[in-house]
Amino acid sequence: MIRTQFGTTRLDYLVSAIRQVTLAAVMLSLATTAAAVINTGTDAEAELPYWEVVEHGVSMRLVQRLPDQTRGFFQARGFSIADSELIAQSCVFQTVFKNVAPPSDPDVIEYNLDEWVVHVAGARRKMKIREDWQTEWTARRAPKAAQLAFEWGLIPTRQAYRSGDYNWGLSIFNLAPGTPFDLDVVWRQSGERRSARLKGVVCAPDIHVSPAAP
Amino acid sequence: MKTPLRPFLHGMLLASWLVLGAAQAAGYDATQTLPPLPKPFAAPDFTLRGEDGKTYRLSDFRGKVVVLNFWATWCPPCRYEMPSMERAHQKVQGENIVLLAIDVGESEERVFEFTGQYPVTFPLLLDTDGAIIKKYPVIGLPTTFVINPRGIVIHRAVGGREWDNEQLLAQLRKLLKP
Repeated sequence: MIRTQFGTTRLDYLVSAIRQVTLAAVMLSLATTAAAVINTGTDAEAELPYWEVVEHGVSMRLVQRLPDQTRGFFQARGFSIADSELIAQSCVFQTVFKNVAPPSDPDVIEYNLDEWVVHVAGARRKMKIREDWQTEWTARRAPKAAQLAFEWGLIPTRQAYRSGDYNWGLSIFNLAPGTPFDLDVVWRQSGERRSARLKGVVCAPDIHVSPAAP
Repeated sequence: MKTPLRPFLHGMLLASWLVLGAAQAAGYDATQTLPPLPKPFAAPDFTLRGEDGKTYRLSDFRGKVVVLNFWATWCPPCRYEMPSMERAHQKVQGENIVLLAIDVGESEERVFEFTGQYPVTFPLLLDTDGAIIKKYPVIGLPTTFVINPRGIVIHRAVGGREWDNEQLLAQLRKLLKP
């Protein structure tokens, strides 16, 4: 029997290692089902602040969008200056929702923006979703082509993602530029309801750059 | 000094190695999936004008695998996947696999401008009034459907993909086998 420097046999060591493998595997498995991780920082591509929920199989990131970016985007899609201004002043974020589970994972991830809650100044509010805007554009007689771009530009109100699926789209919180808020993100994973709170999200401020005084 | 943690650390390393090894052996790239539709359906037929001025009818491609992509020039993941669609188109030349990309709600001029930055040689069709996208279960852009040679929609990919990925191409080629 070969003894190690700690006085145990190689067989003892092997048995111990197998036990620990089992324990480690259980711990790794638990780690994958742990509570959501909330990240924040500066989005590398947009160079603007982001807030992100990451949990087993799910990733949802909100990236600030400057009102000027929104004005430019929607004017170029055919909206009037007044209509573009309305959207730009409504707190717009770029949103990326992904099912990041491996292909072997059959979980379908679903969400419905109607279930998400915006907490602002002690009040609970809902997001302003595609259907709310559709009513508004009809009343304001926005051009059809512009309405079409708007509809497809927003993150879907309800969506179901299988492994590898994702959407990018605009989410609109109907708040003034610069407003801080918390957001309850809600989704269902194989039918089970899950949620996470993003704290201290801030609508992008409306920056007006004036020419420098001579 | 005795180190009771040592077997545990070795155990962790071994478990991680086993997990990673299994993933590698499976050869998956988590982003390159082509989920099957739970309920396949007959592809709604359509006739659309292409940015090249030609007219395309979906049912003319019966007998081939059709990769039908809905997109728009302003949609970032749509733009990101377009070069890979072109590479896929080049790879499957002569294989009875067809790529069609339907732009939603934009003018011919805007799509033409786009092709200046992203040159593609497969057909870009124009759904200027959004009538065709309404016939398909599309909720967000881009969404891509795979239609088998019998005209049945059997896969849907929500969000962009690397269409020249060999795993995806293998799935498409498999549909050509009787």
